[in-house]
Amino acid sequence: MENRLKEIIESLIFISLEPLTLEKIKSVLTEFKQEEIEQAIKELLDTYVSNERGIQIIHSGGGLLFSTKPEHDSFIKRLLKIERKGKLSSAALETLSAIAYHQPITLAEISALRGVDSSSTLKTLLQKRLVKIVGRKKSPGNPLIYRTSEKFLTYFGLNTIKDLPSPEELSKILDEEDIPEEEDIAEQ
Amino acid sequence: MDASTDYQVKLEVFQGPLDLLLFLIRKKKIDIHDIPIATVTREYLKYLNQKERINLDREAEFLLIAALLIYIKSQMLLPREKPLEDEKDPRQILVNRLLDYQRIKAASSLLREKEEEELLKWKRSFLPHLLQEDAMDYIEISLFDLGESFFVLMKKKEREGIKTIKGKEYSLEEKMKEILAFLEANEFLDFLDYFSQAESFEEALVSFLGLLELIKARIVIALQESHFQPIKVWLRRKERLTNN
Repeated sequence: MENRLKEIIESLIFISLEPLTLEKIKSVLTEFKQEEIEQAIKELLDTYVSNERGIQIIHSGGGLLFSTKPEHDSFIKRLLKIERKGKLSSAALETLSAIAYHQPITLAEISALRGVDSSSTLKTLLQKRLVKIVGRKKSPGNPLIYRTSEKFLTYFGLNTIKDLPSPEELSKILDEEDIPEEEDIAEQ
Repeated sequence: MDASTDYQVKLEVFQGPLDLLLFLIRKKKIDIHDIPIATVTREYLKYLNQKERINLDREAEFLLIAALLIYIKSQMLLPREKPLEDEKDPRQILVNRLLDYQRIKAASSLLREKEEEELLKWKRSFLPHLLQEDAMDYIEISLFDLGESFFVLMKKKEREGIKTIKGKEYSLEEKMKEILAFLEANEFLDFLDYFSQAESFEEALVSFLGLLELIKARIVIALQESHFQPIKVWLRRKERLTNN
């Protein structure tokens, strides 16, 4: 019975294009006990870690998702005739981190944080659905307010926004890495 | 290492005035809390004098920083009855902004690492990547670029001096269908290649109008890897992807 449950869950994850949440799995498999489901998921993930498989199940964007293993990247690219995957520009990354750490946030606030006008970068991020509009701020001009989206989490392989290091941890990283970073920039 | 000579080439390094200031502070290996305005300003001027060519955007950012520093300096020079409170001290304000900014920079390099890790893992929802319109580094080109390319090409054909005998009428609708059929069969359409194959100016022109119609209807999209690179036309696939 337990094996069957493992298989069922595996098929649910397989068929789902978006990260499949635990809640969703539970809501579908009403005939099983919650603890059974959780246990089966754990066992299922273990089989993928230990097994000689090209694919794996990962926690991403708050749910479970199939992905290929990173070491097979070059072969997949060959199959799909892709030389490299497009990366975000550094302006886009900077804008995203400003939003991620200061959300909910307005365009003016983002621009102030970065010291440059960020409207076009923000527009691209919206198009890529990495950020979303969540409403308007009750302040003069009622500016739109933005947050990072669910796609943001999956894109960066985060399970929740809390997976990002806290501002305190960032400061710590900065203190530790101050010297190497200097050289980094000078060399660039 | 003299970084000041090569940062003109490496514009990617800088995002804005804060970035620039941070860079100068780092280069001087100065504690961020103790910004020696005179030194940093001198550094700017030295750099400006060295330069033969001017990048207007960059110089505008320099100016903004210089103005900011001069403002701080002037605030410091003013005699005051009471010493300034911490949060009104212009230096403190600047330091706070820089610290905020530094954190964002740190976070964004962290996100870059994550991005690189994730790009190695292929997920089903991201397939097929190449056909997605938001291939991230491509530049969507404007109709003007497209028009310009077209006319350059036609000029070139004209110079070849090939005479054609008229007799065929081209319909816009037919051409649009042809382009779509081509895109269904091939991954993308190379703009220059496609139009060089046209038999006559009329045919090319009708095809071009058809292409513009398709772009306007948001059925296809014209992209370029970077400026001066070949223009490629792709089908927009978003709807199809999400429906699957």
